[in-house]
Amino acid sequence: MVHRANQIALFFAGYPHDEAVAGVTDHFKKFWERRMRDQIIAYVAHGGKGLHELALEAVKRLQ
Amino acid sequence: MVIGANPTDAHPVFASHMKRRLREGARLIVVDPRRIDLVRSAHVQADYHLPLLPGSNVAVINAFAHVIVTERLVDEPFVQERCETEAFEQWRKFVAEERNSPEATEAVSGVPAADLRAAARLYATGGNAAIYYGLGVTEHSQGSTMVMGMANLAMATGNLGKRGVGVNPLRGQNNVQGACDMGSFPHEFSGYRHVSDDAARHLFEEAWHVPLQNEPGLRISNMLDAACEGTFKGIYIEGEDIVQSDPNTQHVTAGMTAMECVVVQDLFLNETASYAHVFFPGSSFLEKDGTFTNAERRISRVRKAIPPMAGLADWEITMALSAALGYPMPYQHPSEIMDEIARLTPTFAGVSFDKIDELGSIQWPCNAKAPEGTPVMHIGGFVRGKGRFMITEFVPTEERTTGRFPLILTTGRILTQYNVGAQTARTENNVWHPEDILDIHPWDAENRGIREGDRVALTSRAGQTTLHARISERMQPGVVYTTFHHGFTGANVVTTEFEDWATGCPEYKVTAVEVCLAKRMSEWQENYLETRRETTQIQSKQILSGAAGD
Repeated sequence: MVHRANQIALFFAGYPHDEAVAGVTDHFKKFWERRMRDQIIAYVAHGGKGLHELALEAVKRLQ
Repeated sequence: MVIGANPTDAHPVFASHMKRRLREGARLIVVDPRRIDLVRSAHVQADYHLPLLPGSNVAVINAFAHVIVTERLVDEPFVQERCETEAFEQWRKFVAEERNSPEATEAVSGVPAADLRAAARLYATGGNAAIYYGLGVTEHSQGSTMVMGMANLAMATGNLGKRGVGVNPLRGQNNVQGACDMGSFPHEFSGYRHVSDDAARHLFEEAWHVPLQNEPGLRISNMLDAACEGTFKGIYIEGEDIVQSDPNTQHVTAGMTAMECVVVQDLFLNETASYAHVFFPGSSFLEKDGTFTNAERRISRVRKAIPPMAGLADWEITMALSAALGYPMPYQHPSEIMDEIARLTPTFAGVSFDKIDELGSIQWPCNAKAPEGTPVMHIGGFVRGKGRFMITEFVPTEERTTGRFPLILTTGRILTQYNVGAQTARTENNVWHPEDILDIHPWDAENRGIREGDRVALTSRAGQTTLHARISERMQPGVVYTTFHHGFTGANVVTTEFEDWATGCPEYKVTAVEVCLAKRMSEWQENYLETRRETTQIQSKQILSGAAGD
């Protein structure tokens, strides 16, 4: 899950920060099923170790 | 330009057309780790073969773009008229960076910079230029990024929206295009409309008289993860052999075993059927009516030649299952299903069996604006309006070679077998291709004491299998290759769970492996034979018991 999230973040990392966070958030919403989003939200609630900063910010916007 | 595709083996009909054009004088660039037939064979010779290392596609396409931008080969009028200016300028700046030059990317791609520069100039200035790509593009962790990179290149050179150009996928299996068009993705309805699109969803709710979720569903790999976690209980698999075709076989079988209800519908008792609680005998293309849609969006009729030998066509089996679950469907014939598709899908609004019969075939979109279909897309404008250039940063896959696994395995197909062999490996085609073989470069073979025909163990961090070796200069040093047509080979025992960041497509084309001499089959292969023996015996007993009862 962390690896998948970081792969998405690395794609959007080439864009300006706000645009990148919005892109990662949108990807989670459109393509990750509810239980996958719940899992990563819970993971971030416990510190989100190893997550790319863009993924961390995006997950916080999902909550 | 053919990228990550081997048409003469995997798409022979298309290859025949391509070879005809090549004999008539068309120029050819091949971007592929292997020296495939199109690089040089009778009457065909590519102008350039760029033998990139598996996993470096995006670095190569960025280098193409670098040459086109820095050598001022951009079709400026096309870009100005058809594309978003700000996104283009952002992209132009990105690809012009020195780190994207052919000289800088040569270290990761292995492609000589001078050859890449020459190929990029030919693509940009040689007249109409089309890109054809295959699973050698999509089956990577950056497969989607690469597709965007190719679309960038086509827009930058004005190679879209007219005959003889474009970015053209050579689909992995028959009717992949049709399945995608019909909303087989877990986040879409037919016509590529997201499930969160309220207007589209309400159309289906009204037609089917049921509420529909606005949330995306799970993809196959996510389903298997969830099954292992205990939150995904049942699956209905129609015409797919995921135990053999999906990566990391051990993980797939763990997921299948964990499920409470596995229903498999297929022509044969395939590998996946071994894990089924219920098996429905499917029907072949000769036993049913319907349509197939190919890569050029062309919808063609499939006509029933004989009644289904098992009694029901595939669509009737699905309807019977639906009725048993409490939702009877009203269709009397597949043409009525197509009529519903037309009512609910704007790009199919004008499609019907009668019209396909009248015209022979139809390329969608087919509607009031294009009553006889659309042979060429993007003429005068894109569906989204202005074309948007995307930043395609090269991110190396995390599947890296190491001292323990120093070679890269890439997999593919051969002409005489089809995919996982569910159909062709049961035929006399086995005379031509009786087993999967490992192709290895002479240097790599010599370093390991491997000779032609030796049994070798192919090992990755995911698993191990054995097969016979063939010494081949088609391969470049450091890269080995095999097919995945035979269940006993278990090529996907070795492949890993890495997948494309956007689509979830498995990264079949890059697996770090080691190869060494082997005296016996692998433990997985021994278990495989035992499992097949057991399931076959059970089947025989049931048949005998049924016959006695009759």
